[in-house]
Amino acid sequence: MRRRIWADPRLGLLVVIVVLVAVFTALRPAFLDVDLTIVPIQSDLTVFVVVGLAQLAVLSLGHMNLAVGRMAAVSAFAAGWAYDKLAVPLVVGLLIGLAVGALVGAAAGWTIAATGVNSFVVTLALDFALIGLVSLLYSTFSDGVAFHVAPAGMDILRGDTFADYCAGDLCGPPIPLVVPIALVAALAVGVFFRNSRLGREILMTGSNLQAARLSGIPTSRRIIQAHTLSGLLAALAGFLLAVTNGAFSADIGGSFLLPSFLGPVLGGTLLAGGAVSVLGTVFGAALTEVIQTGLNLLQFEVEKFKIYIGIVLLVALSLDRLRQVLAERRKQEVPRVPEPVEQKEGVA
Amino acid sequence: MTVTAEKLVKKFPGVRALDEATLRLAPGSVHALLGENGAGKSTLIKIMTGVLRPDGGRIVLADGGEAHFGGPHDAQRAGIGVVHQERNLIPAFSVAENIALPAVPQRFGFVDRAAARALAKRCLAQLKVQLDVDRPVSTLSVAQTQLVEIAKALAVDSQVLLLDEPTASLTSDEADRLFTVMRELRDQGHAIVLVSHKLDEVFAIADTVTVLRDGRSVAEAQPLADLDHDEIVNLMVGRAHAVLELARTPVDRTATPALELDGIGTADGHEDVSLAVRPGEIVGLYGLVGAGRSELARAVLGLDKITAGTVRIRGEQARIRDVGEALRRYRIGYVTENRKEEGVFLTQPISRNIAVTVWRRLARAGLVRERDENSLVATYRERLGMRLSGPAQLAGELSGGNQQKVSLAKWLAADCDILVIDEPTVGIDVRTKAAFHELIVGLAADGLAILLISSDLPEMVTLADRVLVMRDHRLVGEVDNDHDYDRTSQEVGRLLHQAR
Repeated sequence: MRRRIWADPRLGLLVVIVVLVAVFTALRPAFLDVDLTIVPIQSDLTVFVVVGLAQLAVLSLGHMNLAVGRMAAVSAFAAGWAYDKLAVPLVVGLLIGLAVGALVGAAAGWTIAATGVNSFVVTLALDFALIGLVSLLYSTFSDGVAFHVAPAGMDILRGDTFADYCAGDLCGPPIPLVVPIALVAALAVGVFFRNSRLGREILMTGSNLQAARLSGIPTSRRIIQAHTLSGLLAALAGFLLAVTNGAFSADIGGSFLLPSFLGPVLGGTLLAGGAVSVLGTVFGAALTEVIQTGLNLLQFEVEKFKIYIGIVLLVALSLDRLRQVLAERRKQEVPRVPEPVEQKEGVA
Repeated sequence: MTVTAEKLVKKFPGVRALDEATLRLAPGSVHALLGENGAGKSTLIKIMTGVLRPDGGRIVLADGGEAHFGGPHDAQRAGIGVVHQERNLIPAFSVAENIALPAVPQRFGFVDRAAARALAKRCLAQLKVQLDVDRPVSTLSVAQTQLVEIAKALAVDSQVLLLDEPTASLTSDEADRLFTVMRELRDQGHAIVLVSHKLDEVFAIADTVTVLRDGRSVAEAQPLADLDHDEIVNLMVGRAHAVLELARTPVDRTATPALELDGIGTADGHEDVSLAVRPGEIVGLYGLVGAGRSELARAVLGLDKITAGTVRIRGEQARIRDVGEALRRYRIGYVTENRKEEGVFLTQPISRNIAVTVWRRLARAGLVRERDENSLVATYRERLGMRLSGPAQLAGELSGGNQQKVSLAKWLAADCDILVIDEPTVGIDVRTKAAFHELIVGLAADGLAILLISSDLPEMVTLADRVLVMRDHRLVGEVDNDHDYDRTSQEVGRLLHQAR
């Protein structure tokens, strides 16, 4: 099992994160400033971890969800509309948003399962259609491009950290109130894929569709369920971003697509399907966030900033790929079993 | 071209895969390379073709020079070509394009199609094979793609040709045609190496033989005429090979059949297929590749449409819509013939491969505990004699025989009492094969009803109580098997080839 640890991408990510934090702190001590960096970084991370999980839900099948941002936008619209027109409580609006996201995800999954068209194409087309739908909805139902609503509790969720709550002299840590939501989501998705029958059957479907079918797994249903989960998580991400921004607007989800892949892929989730890493996704999202905040603090201009972040991410991905290749090579040269004579030809 | 691999050593941590193995190849001969799984055949071939580098020993070429292959290209340039078990052609490309691929003829930087076609035609003509060079490879049969691969090796002027299990998926007619091609090449002065598990074909075509055992060459380029079947097997397994006489429990032929087909017709073209398998019985379904045996099994499992007739399970009429229903409602399992593509999940741990059919049963509140899975693995590891490092090992790291056991274990775990077993021992070595046969007989003794599909006649005669012969999607007859190989095989052969 020692080799497994060496090959674990999460370890590498953690090291890179620690090094980058040290470098940024050395260059700009403000990097460790609680109000300026630590708290905002956590709020952003909350959103992007959930976005990464939304993509991870379908990467488990070897599928993609290119509509992840627009699913978030549609759901955020639904929640905002419910707050604005129906004046529902915070939780009810959230549930409405989640339901809409799940529904859109299910529709994507059903289309993929029923037609056999590649998920790339289906979700790309869906994304395109939803862009139009979202702006149409906002221009019809809101007074412009956003619902500026504040149901009871939203401001608290947005602005407070646990440090604002004290029992006597003892106050909580400077962690925003939204963070536990992402943690619970990550934990739930992790347990889902690791232990639940449904999640495992989705992974098996992603690993080998034909073998899954021949093992009695209802593969079409599993495909639909994975995409439903993806839509649900995209909706949650949309809601969290709306809470952070303080408005349910049409541009929610516009910046989701790239980070949605970066988190899981940096964290070791295969694009081929059959294996996911939730903890890796959290680390991957954290790395992206650290880089972004660091470059921001070093005051790069917006255009330069985009160039640099692109380059930094490409380098990070290449290093990760290199690590994989090395690990792969090691694995090939070291047969795992004590009696490798028996298993050699099976590998060949 | 004479090529000698002298005292090759290849070490992997903890094991010497090759331990001073020697292979001497002479032009104008067919050389059989034999050995059980794990004896070092694949490693030897990989070194000869430049995929692996040896830790010791050397490869000497015709001119007396020593070869140092940095990669497969170097070996190819030295005139050593290989046709792998896995097909390595590009399906969407034409025959000509595939053949010309290793050395694409160019004109002004563009592919010279006319030259490519001429090259392809010349190579195919050398094999005396008629084939339209403009056909896409995806439309060819397995046998034809193999010939194209051989032609591809000839296109770069391979003087040494290594064929790895070339007949594994060919019918006997197709195999005969391949042998004709091999003799043709031999007569043209090529050195041909045949790696095979089928001793009959080795005796039919090979001139000399090298046998590997535990990485050593225990017979080095011996003329095959000096050896007989038993001697070869003894060399391979290293001990007198006991002929397997399997004790069978008699079948109660009056019992209600576990699986009964009555006048079944399918969308795939089956007509009026009727058969019955009783508990404890092994019914063999024999026929040529393409006769429709696997397709019948797939239709019964709900993967293909049944258009006529009735299926009865334990006496009750059944309509099976998918494998899940076959499994959970009727307790039928299907051990598929394509174990790598359909039987196992290569990238998944063994525990999941076996437990996949029973997660529904193992789950408590929707969650599966790894402990339960691991105890399942322990049970079948013991019962089926699987060799693995642990339940977390990936199925892709196992040998073919152990993968097959994993593929079988998932149905046993699911408590199936009807098993359809499709080509269980293709590409599996002699010793594992015998163990597998014992296993199948043991399952029948436990009361399972087994429908065995196999193209391996000795296997049929060893295992089946009755052999049904299928031809062109119909059953053409039934042979009661008295385990007398000569009589049963003649009877089956007569049914298979009789005039309509």
